[in-house]
Amino acid sequence: MPLLILLLPSLILLIAVFALPLFRYGWLSFHADSVMTGLVAIPNQGANWQRFIHDARYWQDLIQTLRFAFVSVTAEIVLGLIIALILNQPLRMRALIRSSSLIPWALPTTVMALGWRWIFNTPYGPIDRLMQSGLGQSLNALGEPSIAWITTVYADIWKTTPFVALILLAGLQTIPSDLYEAAKLEGASSWICLRRITIPLLLPYLGLALMFRLAQAFGVFDLVQVMTGGGPASSTESIALYAYWNALRFLDFGYSATIMIGSFLFLSSLILIAWLVITVARNRAAGVYAK
Amino acid sequence: MTLELRQVGRNINNQWIVENLTMTVADNECLALVGPSGCGKSTTLRLIAGLDPVSTGSVQISGRDITTLSPAERSVGMVFQSYALLPHLNVFENLELGLRIRGVSKRERTSKIRQVLDLVQLWNRANNRPAELSGGQRQRVALARALLREPEVYLLDEPMSNLDAQLREDIRPELRRLVLEQRKPTIYVTHDQHEAMAMAQRIAVLNEGKIEQIDTPYNLYHNPCSLFVARFIGRPQINCLKDESGHIRGVRPEAIRFSDSGLSGKLQSREWLGNSQLLFLETQQGVIRIMAPPEQAIPEQIRLTWRAEDEILFNAETGLRLSR
Repeated sequence: MPLLILLLPSLILLIAVFALPLFRYGWLSFHADSVMTGLVAIPNQGANWQRFIHDARYWQDLIQTLRFAFVSVTAEIVLGLIIALILNQPLRMRALIRSSSLIPWALPTTVMALGWRWIFNTPYGPIDRLMQSGLGQSLNALGEPSIAWITTVYADIWKTTPFVALILLAGLQTIPSDLYEAAKLEGASSWICLRRITIPLLLPYLGLALMFRLAQAFGVFDLVQVMTGGGPASSTESIALYAYWNALRFLDFGYSATIMIGSFLFLSSLILIAWLVITVARNRAAGVYAK
Repeated sequence: MTLELRQVGRNINNQWIVENLTMTVADNECLALVGPSGCGKSTTLRLIAGLDPVSTGSVQISGRDITTLSPAERSVGMVFQSYALLPHLNVFENLELGLRIRGVSKRERTSKIRQVLDLVQLWNRANNRPAELSGGQRQRVALARALLREPEVYLLDEPMSNLDAQLREDIRPELRRLVLEQRKPTIYVTHDQHEAMAMAQRIAVLNEGKIEQIDTPYNLYHNPCSLFVARFIGRPQINCLKDESGHIRGVRPEAIRFSDSGLSGKLQSREWLGNSQLLFLETQQGVIRIMAPPEQAIPEQIRLTWRAEDEILFNAETGLRLSR
């Protein structure tokens, strides 16, 4: 009982900011609540969900969001690992390099997204000017649907790779150096050390970075909103952006709630799977490293 | 096969971690490196293994200069203080890794691992991860890995410091047998002098990166070359009495007897050690430690004496032994 009392403050906070809105949205998803109903919630017997299942724009947005999340997170993990390995070496001015590598991550997303929007601007941004003078061809990085999503992925990688690198660097520092020394005595190359020591012992940290980044990338909003506004032709529109448009542009709160809950269910099952994978990996790697 | 260090030194930022180290470890010999922490004993091992580069001097195995070779080319088997086992691999896989790197065939790997695990009596634990093993078992796996390397030199870096005192004593004879059976030069680093005496034929006492004395356990105890060695070897510590002539007279606690004449003292405290008692006596020359039989009665008027040949004289300034 006393334990429960100690947990109560955080429990109340969690319920207030997390569970209550979720329940409210779940309830709202079974109601019509838009300008048409005078912004009064009226039960509509699952009509929102009917619409949701047949909403081609949502499914296209979901595919776009998954594409964005998987490509950017994969690249971030690979690059983050490389950067972490470099930063873990004894370098001159290591502290300075380490902290300055975090600058992209520390910048507010809207600020850096505006920056990239300008850099990729056609025809006035530096990238397009370079393309024009070098190849005599405009890139149209934010105006061409087949390229625009890659541009947003690029900006996301630029911003969040330092975060992944930070987590992995923390993980690298937990690996005792004598494991590498013992392997060196056996004649192990750097590649074998990476594959047999570093990666297996880093798995829990890789899983952690993966989970954080997947959840964030899946809910991407501000970066896309500022860089492209979801365009061109909805090609960069994420589900968070679509839900926002439904609620605050079309003032259809009932359907917006349906999108949120639907996406929430999808994302939580995704995270559950990721968590299971991590748990298995961690149990495999779990080692009390005797000291 | 011999291991030879010639004027080996390691200098970092103008500071000598190890300086002018010269010693030879014979075939079939176990040499212990002892000294207080920070004296350079682990560094010495790392220099021999090639994990740290030497600044001066050379390391040779059977006359072959290995100073500039990489750790893998040196043929040394090392047991790390932490055992350095990979936590995500089981015992078999941990041992297999090195053999795989060296390109040993699957059949040969299995038979070699089987053989070495039988030797350290851990074949039934081959499928266990390090976390599922006791400290003593992990240590044997680490030793097995060194044995599998079939090296020319064995280096053991405080292999027992992570084990509790009882286990250490239990394991000592087994470890001694395994190491001596290899008939290879072996260096055993420890901060525990009892362990050093039990494991090694000769002991090198290091002090601030330099060798104070290399000798047999018996000689280190009875003929220390300096005050440092005399104080470091032997528990309870040697008594150091200041002389009128400015020398320091060292007398081992067990050499002091009660008598009718001599230095007078007063009992300060005593410790029962089971097979003996340790007495602390206050005298004009400071507190003197005496090891006495447990049944020894303490006389009312305490007078202390010892034989002249039990006395070791040191120069008070240099700490070096004065020849008698």
